[in-house]
Amino acid sequence: MKKYVIRRIFSGILTILVVFTMNFLLVKSAPGDPIKTLMGKETDDPVLRAALEEKWGLNKPLHEQYLSYLGNAIKGDLGTSITYNRSVNDMISERLMATVILGLSALLISFLLGTAMGIFCARRDGSLIDSVLSTVSYATDAMPSFWLGLMLMIIFATKLNLLPSQGMYNVRAGYTGWRYVLDVAHHLVLPCMTLVLITMSGYFRITKSSILQVTNEDFITTMRATGMPEKKIFNKYIFRNAILPTVTMLGISVAFLITGVSLIEIVFSWPGMGRLTLTAINQRDYPTLMGVYLVMNVSVVVVMIITDIVYALLDPRIRYD
Amino acid sequence: MKRFFNKTLSALRSDAQLRVGVIGLALLFLIVIFGSVIATHDPYFYGPDSLAAPGQNGHLLGTNHMGQDVFSMLVYGVRTSLMVAITASMISGVLGIIIGGAGGYFGGKVDVVISELINVFLLIPTFFLIMLIVSLFGSDIRNVMIVIGLTTWSSNAKLMRAQALSLRERTFVKSAIALGETKLQVLVKYILPNGIFPVVANTTRGMAGAILTEASLSFLGLGDPNVISWGQMIYQGKQYITTAWWITAFSGIAVIITVIIFYMLGDGLNHVLNPKYSQGGK
Amino acid sequence: METILSVNHLNVTYVNKSRRVMAVRDVSLSINKGDSLGIVGESGSGKSTLAMALLRLHPKGTEITGEAMFEGKNLLTISEKEMNELRWVKLAVVFQKAMNALSPVHRIRQQIEDIYRVHYPKASSAEIRERAMELLKLVNLPPRVYNLYPHEMSGGMLQRVAIAISLLHHPQLLIFDEATTALDVVTQGQILREIVEMEKTLSTTRIMITHDMSVVATTCNKVAVMYAGELMEYGMVTDVLTHPHHPYTQGLQRSFPSLKGDNRKLESIPGFLPDLSKPCQGCVFAPRCPHATERCFSQKPPMFKTGESGGAACWLCEGEENGK
Repeated sequence: MKKYVIRRIFSGILTILVVFTMNFLLVKSAPGDPIKTLMGKETDDPVLRAALEEKWGLNKPLHEQYLSYLGNAIKGDLGTSITYNRSVNDMISERLMATVILGLSALLISFLLGTAMGIFCARRDGSLIDSVLSTVSYATDAMPSFWLGLMLMIIFATKLNLLPSQGMYNVRAGYTGWRYVLDVAHHLVLPCMTLVLITMSGYFRITKSSILQVTNEDFITTMRATGMPEKKIFNKYIFRNAILPTVTMLGISVAFLITGVSLIEIVFSWPGMGRLTLTAINQRDYPTLMGVYLVMNVSVVVVMIITDIVYALLDPRIRYD
Repeated sequence: MKRFFNKTLSALRSDAQLRVGVIGLALLFLIVIFGSVIATHDPYFYGPDSLAAPGQNGHLLGTNHMGQDVFSMLVYGVRTSLMVAITASMISGVLGIIIGGAGGYFGGKVDVVISELINVFLLIPTFFLIMLIVSLFGSDIRNVMIVIGLTTWSSNAKLMRAQALSLRERTFVKSAIALGETKLQVLVKYILPNGIFPVVANTTRGMAGAILTEASLSFLGLGDPNVISWGQMIYQGKQYITTAWWITAFSGIAVIITVIIFYMLGDGLNHVLNPKYSQGGK
Repeated sequence: METILSVNHLNVTYVNKSRRVMAVRDVSLSINKGDSLGIVGESGSGKSTLAMALLRLHPKGTEITGEAMFEGKNLLTISEKEMNELRWVKLAVVFQKAMNALSPVHRIRQQIEDIYRVHYPKASSAEIRERAMELLKLVNLPPRVYNLYPHEMSGGMLQRVAIAISLLHHPQLLIFDEATTALDVVTQGQILREIVEMEKTLSTTRIMITHDMSVVATTCNKVAVMYAGELMEYGMVTDVLTHPHHPYTQGLQRSFPSLKGDNRKLESIPGFLPDLSKPCQGCVFAPRCPHATERCFSQKPPMFKTGESGGAACWLCEGEENGK
């Protein structure tokens, strides 16, 4: 178990390092001159240029730049935004909470709902409700998340006027305490619903197919032959075995979810990292962009390691290898 | 040749998803070929009616803020989507086959490095990488296609690696090695052609992914302004969403239909080509 | 001798969307207390289907007609509750592929306790443990196995555990469904010997379902030969194996190496199994039978008596019966 966890952590660190290096090289090899962008198109003052190069460390050789960037990142310093001249750390931490609230609530709801629906349909395989849900899940899988967000926005915000469609809280009302929490929850409904609809189908399908598969295993037939009640067989034996692929899926889907969250944040003006990314793209603010990407990758890796450990706890075959 | 034809025919007959997928794809190609006939207007023409509702002034699905005919834009958008889907997934398929095949077949240290690399790419949110590259190197449609291809090979490589791992233990491969064929010959002659089928199915499903990725990039304003793409139509329509819902709604539906066609094709191919699904007896 | 199970005119039909596969057709056989009956046949002969139908473990939508009398009750028609009362207490089974016969994420102890408590919910862990230790010893396994997970054991060990579990409540009838097929020959031989040895102290009746004639020869006293869902021949093992009457049994025997070790050529039976979704006029084996006559194709042979207690469904045996 210990060996397994250490291996996973090593693998996670390697992933982050590969991504980090790739990002660095990409940004360095990109066409265009960041100093020129900073100075503005018209000015070409060599003194200013030298000063700016000095400030951003661009006058040093590439490997030194890399090492100092890496060293700072390990210390937790992601550098300074070119456009805002502010610490990237500050900019990210201001927005991290909003993204975590949206992402985590969507992840939990879609995991629970998708798994429950999968179990429900597996026990009614081939029924009308099963075919309807399977078809719907096929369709939501094919939808661009942002498009679904826009459609839900038209229906629930514009036409029905039921839910707020922009932002995370009512700026003008300035609620505090419980009223504020409720207000945020109210604003959360649409973006969260969109994400749940998009990501749920994966859990639904994997749960259903893995339950159907486990149900046909020999050991389930053995249990039936002993006269064990179906309920007990399902709750203890089928469920425990069928949940394993669903846990794996949970780990894999986090990367996908983070992408989805960013796009949905942009649709609903949710003040999280997705919108920060968009502004950084538009301004060609590479330090911010790299910082955001690094934070996202670290989160993905951390979640992946956690799910791997959970998996190992659930599956003795891995624990003892 | 005739045998191949018969096989295809019986595969089509046996799998409904494959049938729907093939018919759908054929229709999409027909739309590309006869695009100028099917389109009611010139999609690049900025007409006088801006934001006309569907049906108004002969605009089947309305117009956008520039007065371009939405239906005609959708028709021309098929071309962009198919181009992105096919080019990107070809790149990702070929890369996956080579990388995964080499890892699984050669084994040892090569495989350690390759499987670690596959894991890294499976794990990271590739969309952000794509986004970063496109924003750095420009959003020309060719760039977009290549970048999508270069970053999405990992699932293909994983499949191919597993195939190569199991194939190299098979008797016909072992006997080829015993007969003195070089490693490279064996890889090219036996491993790749026999292990390719699951990858083909996965690549087809990857085409759907490429279309969605292109749409997402366009939605972030990272689309190629010189081509008509459904993602960009959604992006532009977003600003007028409360008054002119049709721009966004119809272009999204076009994306969904196309993506479903590729899903059907991929799943159908998987049923037909993947040895795991084609069962004999009980 | 007391009959423990008697199967009469059993038909099992798998119903699929578009197809009806008649997997078992009009099979009648009986087994006496203390007997060990081997049911042999190639894959697709319906032997496993027969077992699953007797245990009522067939997939949903399967049509079953006929009767299977066990202790005065028809297994095919009693309620699910009555059936569950019989299960494992009177009627237990060991499945093929021991590797999958146990849940991979639960310890042996957990699974044995759960199975034990199906019929004795109040049994204490210590009590169950005691019984389990007894059985593990019986199948030659060390006590530590009790706390292991299935993946920590070899196929042979798992098979022994599965046998031990089947004996938990002293069943009267034990069915082995290809139980030793997945094992290597040495382990298989060992376990088969153990089964025979074990039975000297237990009073169980056993049905051994297998495709392997040699398994029947070493562990059974009676044999029933099935082909394409139908019973071809039955009788004492010693009679059937030394003097097979049915051409199919003869063919089957020639396709396995002799136990006595005389070197004769192994032959396979030419041809394939018939399509079980179509009704069959005449003898099912006729298309592959070297002795088939026109009559074999048009008229189904009844079961003719052969010797003291045997029978064969073949027109060749008709005269033989009259001659007796």
